[in-house]
Amino acid sequence: MADTPVRSMPVPAEPAVFSGVTIALAAPCARWSLRARDAALLEKVTGLKLPRKIGEVVGETVCLGPDEWLTRAPAGATLPDGAGEKVAVVDIAERALTLTLSGPAAARVIAAGCPRDVERLPFPYASRTVFEGVEVLLQRDAEDAFTIEVWRSFAPWLWTALTQAAADMEHLPA
Amino acid sequence: MSGYRIDGLGRVDRSRRVNFTFDGQAYAGFAGDSLASALLAHGVTLFGRSFKYHRPRGLLGAGAEEPNALVTVERGGGVFTPNLRATAVEIHEGLVARSQNRWPSLKTDFGSINDRLGRFFPAGFYNKTFMWPRSFWEKLYEPAIRRMAGLGDAPTVADPDHYAATYAHCELLIIGAGPAGIDAALEAAGTKQRVILIDENAEMGGGALADPALAAWLERSLKALAEAPNVTLLKRTTAFGYYHDNFIGAVERLTDHLANPGPQSLRAPREQLWRIRAGEVVLATGAIERPLVFAGNDVPGVMLASAARTFLFRDGVAVGRNVAVMAAHDSGWKDACAMARAGMGVAAIIDCRSEVDPALVQEAESLGIDCLIHWSVVGVNGRHGVKSVQVLHHDDFLDRRLPCDALLMAGGWTPSVHLWSHSLGSLAWSDDWGAYLPDKPNEKVRCVGACAGKWSFGSGMNVGHLETNRNPAAIKAFVDFQNDVTAKDISLAVREGMKSVEHIKRYTTNGMATDQGKTSNLNALQLASAAMGKPVPEIGLTTFRPPYTPQTFGALAGHAQGPLFQPTRKSPIDSWAEAQGAVYEPVAQWRRARYFPKPGEDMHKAVARECLAVRERVGIFDASTLGKIEVIGPDAAEFLNRMYTNPWKALEPGRCRYGLLLGEDGFIRDDGVSARMAPDRFHLTTTTGGAARVLNMMEDYLQTEWPDLDVWLTSTTEQWAVIALQGPKAREVIAPLVQGIDLSPEAFPHMAVREGTICGVPTRLFRVSFTGELGFEINVPAGFGRHVWEQVFAAGQAHGITPYGTETMHVLRAEKGFIIVGQDTDGTVTPHDAGLDWAVGKKKPDFVGKRSLARPDIVADGRKQLVGLLTDNPAEVLEEGAQIVADPNQPVPMKMIGHVTSSYASATLGRSIAMALVADGRARVGQKLHIPMPGRVITATVTDTLFYDREGSRLDG
Amino acid sequence: MILIHCPYCDEQRPGLEFAYAGEAHIARPADPSALSDEEWERFLFIRANPRGRHHERWRHIHGCARFFNAVRDTVSDKFELTYKAGEPRK
Repeated sequence: MADTPVRSMPVPAEPAVFSGVTIALAAPCARWSLRARDAALLEKVTGLKLPRKIGEVVGETVCLGPDEWLTRAPAGATLPDGAGEKVAVVDIAERALTLTLSGPAAARVIAAGCPRDVERLPFPYASRTVFEGVEVLLQRDAEDAFTIEVWRSFAPWLWTALTQAAADMEHLPA
Repeated sequence: MSGYRIDGLGRVDRSRRVNFTFDGQAYAGFAGDSLASALLAHGVTLFGRSFKYHRPRGLLGAGAEEPNALVTVERGGGVFTPNLRATAVEIHEGLVARSQNRWPSLKTDFGSINDRLGRFFPAGFYNKTFMWPRSFWEKLYEPAIRRMAGLGDAPTVADPDHYAATYAHCELLIIGAGPAGIDAALEAAGTKQRVILIDENAEMGGGALADPALAAWLERSLKALAEAPNVTLLKRTTAFGYYHDNFIGAVERLTDHLANPGPQSLRAPREQLWRIRAGEVVLATGAIERPLVFAGNDVPGVMLASAARTFLFRDGVAVGRNVAVMAAHDSGWKDACAMARAGMGVAAIIDCRSEVDPALVQEAESLGIDCLIHWSVVGVNGRHGVKSVQVLHHDDFLDRRLPCDALLMAGGWTPSVHLWSHSLGSLAWSDDWGAYLPDKPNEKVRCVGACAGKWSFGSGMNVGHLETNRNPAAIKAFVDFQNDVTAKDISLAVREGMKSVEHIKRYTTNGMATDQGKTSNLNALQLASAAMGKPVPEIGLTTFRPPYTPQTFGALAGHAQGPLFQPTRKSPIDSWAEAQGAVYEPVAQWRRARYFPKPGEDMHKAVARECLAVRERVGIFDASTLGKIEVIGPDAAEFLNRMYTNPWKALEPGRCRYGLLLGEDGFIRDDGVSARMAPDRFHLTTTTGGAARVLNMMEDYLQTEWPDLDVWLTSTTEQWAVIALQGPKAREVIAPLVQGIDLSPEAFPHMAVREGTICGVPTRLFRVSFTGELGFEINVPAGFGRHVWEQVFAAGQAHGITPYGTETMHVLRAEKGFIIVGQDTDGTVTPHDAGLDWAVGKKKPDFVGKRSLARPDIVADGRKQLVGLLTDNPAEVLEEGAQIVADPNQPVPMKMIGHVTSSYASATLGRSIAMALVADGRARVGQKLHIPMPGRVITATVTDTLFYDREGSRLDG
Repeated sequence: MILIHCPYCDEQRPGLEFAYAGEAHIARPADPSALSDEEWERFLFIRANPRGRHHERWRHIHGCARFFNAVRDTVSDKFELTYKAGEPRK
């Protein structure tokens, strides 16, 4: 009876397309939370190159805090768990999901609920922040390309909030 | 169109006729008209009834300062917006507006009897009159006052519109698009700065809209700004509040001015809330002209001179054919001359000053205007409009009649410093300007133009009450038109001992409500100054508060309505429960399935069925919302040992332990079962509601008290879906689905954890029980939670598997006496109080909260302790929260010795059970206590909290 | 909404990203059991609550997640400075 396990996602698989922005659910991926006082030790344990400045993005790895990183990899990838070392490697692949926002209105849609100066964020850049009180990990990859990572249980609400903001944007010329 | 419309003047579009109604009467105006200007053009002078005295009122101003002409605009389907200023309502085809605060009609209003009873409504009337008898308040005073007073009605149907909200950031925010604001924007146009220019009106230009000489400049400037890529222009946008660190709240009105905003589903948001963070703010909010204080100054047709000028030059409407001007300031002369030159009939300028700039007088005389210098108006003849005014020569103190059809007041200027005051900038009194001007900023902000006192209207004189030959006690000379405060009220307040301007404000209501003293504050100060014999700067100024003008609740809510009202967290299995028709309850931000009713079942029946299924067969429960924290590092066990009350260092990998968490005050904060996955890795669980709080508390200790510990915490609440399988058949259900784990009781005892796979998905399988039955909690990666749930549910069919919700979970745990933190504890309960001494490590030298367990008040006798209660009548289910007494026959108020914390009908036991916090509870076991309820008293016997399976024989199935 | 400078991110960030965490520089005693009731009471309950300059803790909870210290004027609600946890009182 054990068929291939079916993965359920809490937001639509179909992208929401608006004139200035497309909002879509990104493919599932592997994610790990990485913690250590000594970044070099963590690099040794994981084999990853770690950015040292908060907000900095190197490849698929983001520096979130003075001793905290997030790294992503294609689904199914593995990472040593650092057992016995003064590091913490935690699988958080399923904790969050990623929404992508692309298009010239992407920054404005995010600004509907995010108090950061989204338009002036550098890229690549990533940081935790809030969208109307919900914690998100906001990443900017290019002028018109953002991702928002959000804990799974908040995702239906965030999807509705972002698509509503995008729909409103159609009525509100920049 | 005839009436008062002047050909060749104004900016309205005379090629576009706009039909609308006011109080059921059809009118037509032009595109660009406000409701005020369109009605004025028809000679309408009566716009509303005043707040307290129901006096007939017309327009005082032409913009946001208007205190009188508050109207209700219909939005269809029973939806309407009350309290809109007629001066700020743009007419559109089909607009339906009505007046307020009158019955049965605006012209015949029964409430106006209040005006003749005026001497019974002095300042402080409400404070004085309705003190007694108390019983009259609810039945008589309040309903009567509510009917008579007030500002319009509140709509009773839900608002069908939706609203948008956004944050915006700019280097320069300019508020007010009059000449000063536009100049500031032009200066920054073309730079790298992001500039936002906002203005509350439909058209930008401010005072320039009423100055034909500036028309070409205005057009040129607005074009340049529209073309500047770094400038954002927001018209119909009111900056209503100025908050910390240059954070400004503004509301942009998007659809109210449209005749056909389209069907609701396709419609633009009605309004958008702008939350603007600005590097620098420029306030170009202008100045508001002051009325003058004299008897009859509120008769319809008496208005500000600047308003008349605006109606004439902006809208092409003359407010009269033969007007008089009552001036205390040069600006009145300039306005009068400008209007006369444009063709409006100006009969006379009356000025209370003894000297006036001869050039002004000469110009006025050359235009045929009668100049009465050192004269004052002492009365206005007419009820719904001005027929004539009584003017008094200051020398002979005799008054004579001066025919006119409108009276314009020019009392000087008050800079609009509301936003400046919100920002906590200080104000300084200027004798030269006769006004408070912005002084020291508290933010990066500057004022420009009239708001900074820089105006070119000439000079004037500050007067409180104009000279009069009448008994000041017998006349009504209004100071605050919106709140119906008269000069008499101010002097009465001072006589009755109100020494501070803040007290005078509250006693008289001057400067309160939606108006925020726009036209009244300075006049009230002048009068208070005279009454107290103190100069104005010594009296101070009341605090202006947001909002500058009233804003809709919808705009303030922004997107937060309907499904976006607040975030609702949903578990990975939520969609399955929804499909099964689960009834939900909110738990923290989550919605959780409370029970799964079958057709015809109420909650009681469904819960009884679910409970019995778990006890007799097997139940399946979504426990995904439990908080989970991965604790990792060489010092992980040491850290947990310090945080929790019980010892953790000796816990072997693969085993679980109940953890009890206290605050430093010794009171229970949270609890949960946690597992040691590896020597340096723990899987903690917390309560659903406590998840974020516990993580924050643990991070706090780790980061700030014990930074030497090598431990890291990661929230894994949402990494795992948790499927609780409870009941004697639980093992049989999962046995065929699990790989890599020996499920036998010997290999996998109670309070153990194993890793393996279930339904092809990796799992952390816990053998734990919150029901007293054999139980498993299946942790699987969240994305596969629903898949595994469905597989387990299918496999369980042969065993009579039953989904159950939080209500059943609560009953089952109560039968076993397991507490729920936050229900059976309330932040003042120690482990001893809760009967959890067994979970406190006696030999541990320290843990969070340990020292407090020896505090005198914690070890004292008489503390409330958690006990069980069994009602004499087994069918009686106590109310949670009900108070408990020892002697039901004592007089009221009774001495209450505790309260019921949990109470259920237990299907398993065939009777009700309850838990309660009772003073010295454990010493009372076996005693009868009483629960007084309305009309009766329930009696119950105190027991311990373990109601079912005292031997714990059911844990192994 | 206030702006707060996070000493770890070294950026001014919106107040919504932060959580207040009480008065600063109240260290948990190394051995609470050695304290008298009065000393424990002082640690547990007694706070300065000044009018004016207040040393307090904040957490950049929706940012880098670090606790840090701040000096804020309780009258003007303005932040004078922020500094990292563990640094001496400023």
